[in-house]
Amino acid sequence: MLDLADVQGLVLRGYTMPRARHLVLRVDSPAAGRELLGSLVDGDPRRPQVTTGTPWTEKPDCCLNLAVTAGGLRALGVPEESLATFPEEFTAGAEARADRVGDVGPNAPEHWLPVFRDPGFHLLVSLFGQTPAAVERVTDDLLAGTGPGLTELCRLDAALLGDRVDHFGYVDGISQPTVGDTPPPGPPDRLPVAPAGAFLLGHPSQFRDHTYPVPQPPALGRNGSFAAFRMLAQDVDAFHDLLAEQSRRTGASPELVAAKLCGRWRNGTPLVLSADTGTPEPPVPAEELNDFDYAADPRGERCPIGSHVRRMNPRDSRVAGNGGHKHRIVRRGLTYGPPHDPAHPRDGQDRGMLGLFIGVSLRDQFEFVMSQWANDGRFAPGLGRTQDPFLGAGGTLPLASPGGGRARLTDLPRLVTTRGGAYCFLPSVTAIGHLAGR
Amino acid sequence: MTATQHADDPVQNPLTLVMTVRSADDRRALQAKLEALQSLPREQNPVVAALDTIATVHFARFVFIDEDRLAVITTYDGDFAVYINEFVDHIGDVFNDLLQHVDGAPPLPVQRHREQFLDYVRRNDLRCLPPFYSAYPERTVLDVLAADSGS
Repeated sequence: MLDLADVQGLVLRGYTMPRARHLVLRVDSPAAGRELLGSLVDGDPRRPQVTTGTPWTEKPDCCLNLAVTAGGLRALGVPEESLATFPEEFTAGAEARADRVGDVGPNAPEHWLPVFRDPGFHLLVSLFGQTPAAVERVTDDLLAGTGPGLTELCRLDAALLGDRVDHFGYVDGISQPTVGDTPPPGPPDRLPVAPAGAFLLGHPSQFRDHTYPVPQPPALGRNGSFAAFRMLAQDVDAFHDLLAEQSRRTGASPELVAAKLCGRWRNGTPLVLSADTGTPEPPVPAEELNDFDYAADPRGERCPIGSHVRRMNPRDSRVAGNGGHKHRIVRRGLTYGPPHDPAHPRDGQDRGMLGLFIGVSLRDQFEFVMSQWANDGRFAPGLGRTQDPFLGAGGTLPLASPGGGRARLTDLPRLVTTRGGAYCFLPSVTAIGHLAGR
Repeated sequence: MTATQHADDPVQNPLTLVMTVRSADDRRALQAKLEALQSLPREQNPVVAALDTIATVHFARFVFIDEDRLAVITTYDGDFAVYINEFVDHIGDVFNDLLQHVDGAPPLPVQRHREQFLDYVRRNDLRCLPPFYSAYPERTVLDVLAADSGS
């Protein structure tokens, strides 16, 4: 049975907080690092504590979670023989694995924010708060208690835009995997329930008769997860230009173009449930926005097979390997940067999405999805070498029309650029204590 | 099985997995198992069912090269290592059955020893003298099936 109190809360549930802050810390002295980690799990109500998976009776003002890079584990004094038991993609790190996930060209590490290439990117403390003040308060409490030996390298803030939309105007965060033995994450779906071991080390995984190896010692590895921390800039001007240009070329409304790219209308209504309008009568109830599959749409006539949500979560679609529901990722992201004002385009502001992509295996979840489904199309019929309309380099979106016809949107621009990535370990509460030397 | 794919490589890749049997008894046992398996009607053959489901294998055959060696020869789409979990989930039991009779086999069941199974296949795959020829280098199994069904 899963011990929810031992698991970091963000793995298993979305906090639905409107504010987030990610503090990047360098551990200059192992003792200072261990003291900070120990303080996060010592139960002292005067100091910020790590938020666990234990269901709460009253929603807190601010939640806190901790992620550690491989460099961070070294800086905390974890011996090399222990590090050698971690998966090689984690110890290699996001920069070394960049070409596998499409972080090439404009996405390549040499263009990232400097902090993501800083060898001192050791700890990532993520705060999720109800208000800016709550986040500030916990930041101050956290940093006030840290002595010399820890250096804040960077703080990255994110905030919910109105109506829960991303910068392109899509309602975001609808679909999260349902995990066995844990509270449901939101709207139900009809996909198989994912086992806890798809997101937590030490439990049977999503693959048959298989459990991922637990990094050693077990007190460090068990009930941990891995996460790709990502900062993705969104080019809203290019997106608006794309909608206008493709609308002009095809005669489709800009909203329909936006829906074809995403697989959902911008209000979240799935194309497969409403192919002709984003505002059907009666509307699709909120609890049904994630409760669908593609069995009746094998060619993608309603929802293009190459659209963003169908690539990222193919559900029951026919895909190479038949593993459409075995590479799920828990997403904890929020927008950063100011909202785009159409009255003041090309304002030069950096804006996009900041968050953690969580699973039991970076290789089999984040890297698999990015390499096979986002940056290549050959996992599904008819997509060729096309890429995800949002996450890829642009190009072409194949479309299928009723009666066997085919069409395509062409000359799509790049819309999203990687501003940075870091591969992190999300230790259990036990493991944070272990790292602290308790 | 190539570690690095190049833009002009075919999407298909060859697998020529050559396994050495442990003994004459194992050779006889393997032959009996494979003949029983392959004589099943298509809808009852677990290899056929698995490959139909995986949908990345164009062609596959078992060949006894000589008294000591059994080969599994296939043409498949994409990177075998990337799809190792799907492959093991669907066809692992067939390999558990065959590998019992094979010299230097990885630890079984393969479901619990996926990395060792992958290493075993890599070590015993003769690959081919490049380049690998394909008449339709961009067509996956899924593309071909979709075209055949007129969809």
